[in-house]
Amino acid sequence: MITYVGVTLLGLLALSIPVGVVLFLLGFGIDIFFSNFPLIRGLGNMVWSASNSATLIAIPFFVLLGEILVRSGVAERTYAALDRWVSWLPGGLVHANIATATMFSATSGSSVATAATVATVAMPQAEKLGYDPKLFSGAIAAGGTLGIMIPPSINLIVYGFLTQSSIPQLFLAGLIPGLALALMFMLITVIICVIRPDLGGMRRTFPFPQMMRALVDLVPIVLLFGLIVGSIYRGWATPTEAAAVGVAGAFLIAFVFGGVSWDMLTQSLTGTVKITSMIMLIVIGASFLNFTLASAGLGRELTTFMEGLGLSPLGFILVVVAMYIVLGFFIETLSLMVVTIPIIVPMVLVQGYDVIWFGILMIVLIEMALITPPVGLNLYVVQGARKSGSLNEVMLGAIPYCLTMLLMAFLLIAFPNIALFLPHALQ
Amino acid sequence: MIERLRAINKGVALMVGFGLLACAAFVLTDIIMRRFGTSLGGTEEIAGYAMALATSWGMSYTLLELGHVRIDILRTRFQTFGKAVFDVFSICVMSGVVITIAIKAWPVVERSLVNGSRANTPLQTPLIWVQLPWFAGWVWFAIMSTLLSFAAISLVFKRRYGETEAIVGAFAEQDTLK
Amino acid sequence: EDLSVVGSWSSLPLHNAYEAPFWTETLPAASGGTINVELTTHNQMSLGLGDIYPLLGQGVYDVAMTVGDYAVSDAPELEGLDVPLLALTADDARAMVDAARPMVADIFRDRFNSHVLAIAPYPPQVVFCNADIASLADLEGLKVRASGRMTALLLEALGAEGVNVSFSEVPGALQKGVVDCAVTGAGSGYSAGWWEVSTHLLPIPLGGWDPVVTAINLDKWNSMSADDQALITSEIVTGFEDPAWASAQGALVNDVACLTGNGECVGGEARAMTLVEVSEEDFTRARTILTSEVLPDWAERAGGDWATRWNESVGTAVGVSIE
Ligand code: NA
Ligand code: NA
Repeated sequence: MITYVGVTLLGLLALSIPVGVVLFLLGFGIDIFFSNFPLIRGLGNMVWSASNSATLIAIPFFVLLGEILVRSGVAERTYAALDRWVSWLPGGLVHANIATATMFSATSGSSVATAATVATVAMPQAEKLGYDPKLFSGAIAAGGTLGIMIPPSINLIVYGFLTQSSIPQLFLAGLIPGLALALMFMLITVIICVIRPDLGGMRRTFPFPQMMRALVDLVPIVLLFGLIVGSIYRGWATPTEAAAVGVAGAFLIAFVFGGVSWDMLTQSLTGTVKITSMIMLIVIGASFLNFTLASAGLGRELTTFMEGLGLSPLGFILVVVAMYIVLGFFIETLSLMVVTIPIIVPMVLVQGYDVIWFGILMIVLIEMALITPPVGLNLYVVQGARKSGSLNEVMLGAIPYCLTMLLMAFLLIAFPNIALFLPHALQ
Repeated sequence: MIERLRAINKGVALMVGFGLLACAAFVLTDIIMRRFGTSLGGTEEIAGYAMALATSWGMSYTLLELGHVRIDILRTRFQTFGKAVFDVFSICVMSGVVITIAIKAWPVVERSLVNGSRANTPLQTPLIWVQLPWFAGWVWFAIMSTLLSFAAISLVFKRRYGETEAIVGAFAEQDTLK
Repeated sequence: EDLSVVGSWSSLPLHNAYEAPFWTETLPAASGGTINVELTTHNQMSLGLGDIYPLLGQGVYDVAMTVGDYAVSDAPELEGLDVPLLALTADDARAMVDAARPMVADIFRDRFNSHVLAIAPYPPQVVFCNADIASLADLEGLKVRASGRMTALLLEALGAEGVNVSFSEVPGALQKGVVDCAVTGAGSGYSAGWWEVSTHLLPIPLGGWDPVVTAINLDKWNSMSADDQALITSEIVTGFEDPAWASAQGALVNDVACLTGNGECVGGEARAMTLVEVSEEDFTRARTILTSEVLPDWAERAGGDWATRWNESVGTAVGVSIE
């Protein structure tokens, strides 16, 4: 059955059938070929239960928040401000891409939205200033993935929802690894650009007063992050409710910057609906597939398989890492999480690992999946904003960052406290 | 026809969007009221319903805006005709699946109708109030994808392969975020 | 005979200690190998809690077990199976459940096209408070996290405010005062570390006993041989129901000991929550509210002759009558 799922999944995806639809088709196939029971009768209930979720309403809220920020010009100002501060580094504006992505990650719950935000404001600069398109766009795709690691994070909400673990603790756990990854991205950029200065484009320094003035443009994002995360940790709002707080905050900021108009509002709303439905078709498809897989006994099949390997906890976790890397090539990230959590997490816990820690490790691996072809949503988002050149350039540019993430995964395994320090310290 | 469908579904999406906005306002009001020691109550339940409705009614807009994610590594290697075949096949499969979902969604509604089901919450919301519009959204999505399939097939029969891209292609012409 | 069985929460003792051994070992062995079971749990299938019995009725799987309360959306009359505060000991709870059994059987036949095989207890749902309380009356004005409609209505009638918080967020909510009290099983609260963030424990079943109903799809049941039916009916009592009930009272006493340090805590470290003794007057008042407000309200929701049937069965067993 594992083979069937793998092969059929890849085949159907290659036919360019929408990903969400492929998940439903796989579920139908499992019902027909691997189950003695009429699982399809559960379809309606699964679709209803998967979408009737107060937790998941955080998705449209966080998407809307991002849309408002972009359409009100806040994103551009932030980018310009960070440009003033980091473009003196070898690699120049590439660092501004990463820094902007990091800042937006702190207000955005999704990696795709983060990448899209940065790509829209950064891409026009790349050609103007003569950057190598590979590294430049790769950095945006990779930086964007931080959106699901640095709180708030839709994926961590879904993880907490499915594993019954604390979402605020997950958010705390993601903060240090997220910031560490951002620094590592910048470090690798410096290293690459010292070796190959031609990849980095122009290094620019700005007079100090200009840098100070630019700080003002960073205030809204910092405030918004404080509002969202603060309302969670002060106990005012659940992570889902905090998303609504964020929407209000974003409106306020847009209003102050004079960016609120009827057009901006309608575009933000329809854009939100479009992205939400896109994500939800996949989430609903994944939960139906999940239901058929579990009913057909995938859990047992996998458990037997893993027990047969007779691995130590470390060996086991390394196999899990390898599995996520391979699956990550082909499966859309949210689906990957939703499909694997019910099977993998119980096995990981049996091996004595911490559920919060594993959530963060999984996020790093999922972040990698976002920038590995053929199915790497961030690559497409960045490519979509480029309008020229081929997708291959983005893929190549993302490789160094991909390796950095792998390093981060190993660091997390070697030093679990990178993730667990904050939740334990603030408990 | 496609332009008209797009316009209609944009209107639907806008309503869904305002619904979500209202829901955010509702949640926010509740958060603020809790600071003052009272509560509207039931925000979580209502947010769940809002999400279910937004999901089912938003699908068609995403479909017409070519927003449902597709992997096109193989597809891009083909010329116009090949791409058209991929696209028509894809939309037909999609219609089949969505029609199946709409059909299988009915028993859920029927059960609530027959049992007079109410939510297991203090609000005791009659589920049919939410499930009927939710079901209607999936039926709407099924109708839209079927219409789109026919439109795409008829273009192929008229040998206007280049035009399928615009209605059932892999990506929207315009970007999501401008 | 092949049976696909969907168990209750895979992380809780009821599943691990009783359900899983019964369905995967006891029953197949007793059948001499003629009955094969495929066991999973509803959380492993990521089923919506309200979907478990409806899907059973549609034959998506053969056997399912879960808390009856999850299904009251489709069957309000089922709320009468688990009324809070009526049974204080496991023996009382079992007497109550046994009295309700014929009603439950009818409800499952009519609403979910299935046949009831067994009813087993989850631990009673007690109250953890991060507030200085000395009696039930002190709940007045406090924010309490509870699940289930009848419990929520009872709390409201007692003057408390019901708040929705998911299980995993309760510790944080207690700590920050988003809620003052929360209701869950003593054992679950102990293992989830609620004692770290709450000070007082009210060891009364304010949330009821959360009886777990095991049922089999009616078509499947009718298609089975009389021998198989008889075997399952008798084995499930001796191999599952009896042992689960037998351990329930001991588990409650032990869990309370572990949480408060009063008595011996087996299998864990004792904590130091304050045990709140509920007075007789408190109880009388709560029961009065229950019989004068909450239960009549239920009788109206359930409709039909359910109130009468309840009075004649459960009511007689626990000495309470809906007014
Ligand atoms: Na984020
Ligand atoms: Na990938």
